[in-house]
Amino acid sequence: MSKIDENEIRRRLKLLSQIEPTPEAARRATERVRDTLVNKEKRRESTRMWRAIIKRPMTKLAAAAILLICLGYAVGRLSAPQPPDVEQLRSALETSLKSSLEEEMNRRWQPVFAASCVQLKDELHQQVRRDLAEFADQILTASGSLTEQRLMELINLIEAARKQDRRRVATALEQIQLNRLQDKTLFGNGLVTLAARTDELLGTKEN
Amino acid sequence: MRDRQRKLLELLDKSGAGLHALLTRLTLREDIAEELMQELFIKLSNSSGLDKVANWGAYARRAAINLAFDWRRSRKRTPLGLDQVHEPASNDNSPLGKLIQTEELEEILNAIGRINGPSREAFVMRYIQQQSTDDIAKQLGKTPHQVRALCYKVLSHLRDVLGSDQLPSSGKEQYDVEN
Repeated sequence: MSKIDENEIRRRLKLLSQIEPTPEAARRATERVRDTLVNKEKRRESTRMWRAIIKRPMTKLAAAAILLICLGYAVGRLSAPQPPDVEQLRSALETSLKSSLEEEMNRRWQPVFAASCVQLKDELHQQVRRDLAEFADQILTASGSLTEQRLMELINLIEAARKQDRRRVATALEQIQLNRLQDKTLFGNGLVTLAARTDELLGTKEN
Repeated sequence: MRDRQRKLLELLDKSGAGLHALLTRLTLREDIAEELMQELFIKLSNSSGLDKVANWGAYARRAAINLAFDWRRSRKRTPLGLDQVHEPASNDNSPLGKLIQTEELEEILNAIGRINGPSREAFVMRYIQQQSTDDIAKQLGKTPHQVRALCYKVLSHLRDVLGSDQLPSSGKEQYDVEN
């Protein structure tokens, strides 16, 4: 153990005296104690109440009556003759019933099942055929409408191309007409100029 | 029984925080202080002689001190409650400093725990609870002079157990506590 002087002892005691728990810890500890005390009192009251009930003469009489009834029931059960083994009886009955029912069911229901099977087969066959025919109809209808739709689209495309070609031809013809008119004007002007020059030349020669 | 319950709840309201602080100082651990506080009030609640006690606060404080030192004795190895020490002994806040400080406080508390009876109670009230000798005398039903003598006895014991051969400056108790 370390050797310390009195001042050191006092310093440590001072430090100890300055230790304070956090407020949260103090509150938690106090609340916990309070809860414990309150719950304890509740438990005590509950115990007191039960004790008071048990101490009543009527309660004692009722308890004695219940005890006697239970005792009588137990004695009655014990003194009664032993019932047959229910489990064994049940298993024997089950086996017997199972074998007899199996034979009877085979005898009665086998022809009925066979007839029903043939009938079911026919019905199923017819049903399949009906379904296939219906399916084929649906396919044909759908295919026809789709083909018609595609043809309409093709016609529209051809018509659009034809209109575009017409427009191009008309534009070309207009351009040709314009060129022709321009050439005609130039030619006319040329002829006028030639006539005027010819007149001038003839006048000069006569002079 | 209902009256005792009411009185205990009043005691809890009045002295609960103080008792919890005392237990924290003596155990240096808040969790243990909470457990001991719980144990203290359960013991008080079950105590058959409590109705004869005149001062329930003093009785509870004595029981708390006994519980705390019993706990110190019962544990075999000291777990360190470093977080409970709010004001360090030095400016050294390192883990090593805290460890050393806690060990120092544990050393003092273990030495106090070796003493029994009213001396220990008076010493705890004086030096750990920082109460005046007059207040302690009133609560313990003794004279201030007797209280000082009891404290001096404990201090001498601590010097013998922990201290060097150095004697105190005077034979009387020194008054360096706050009250």
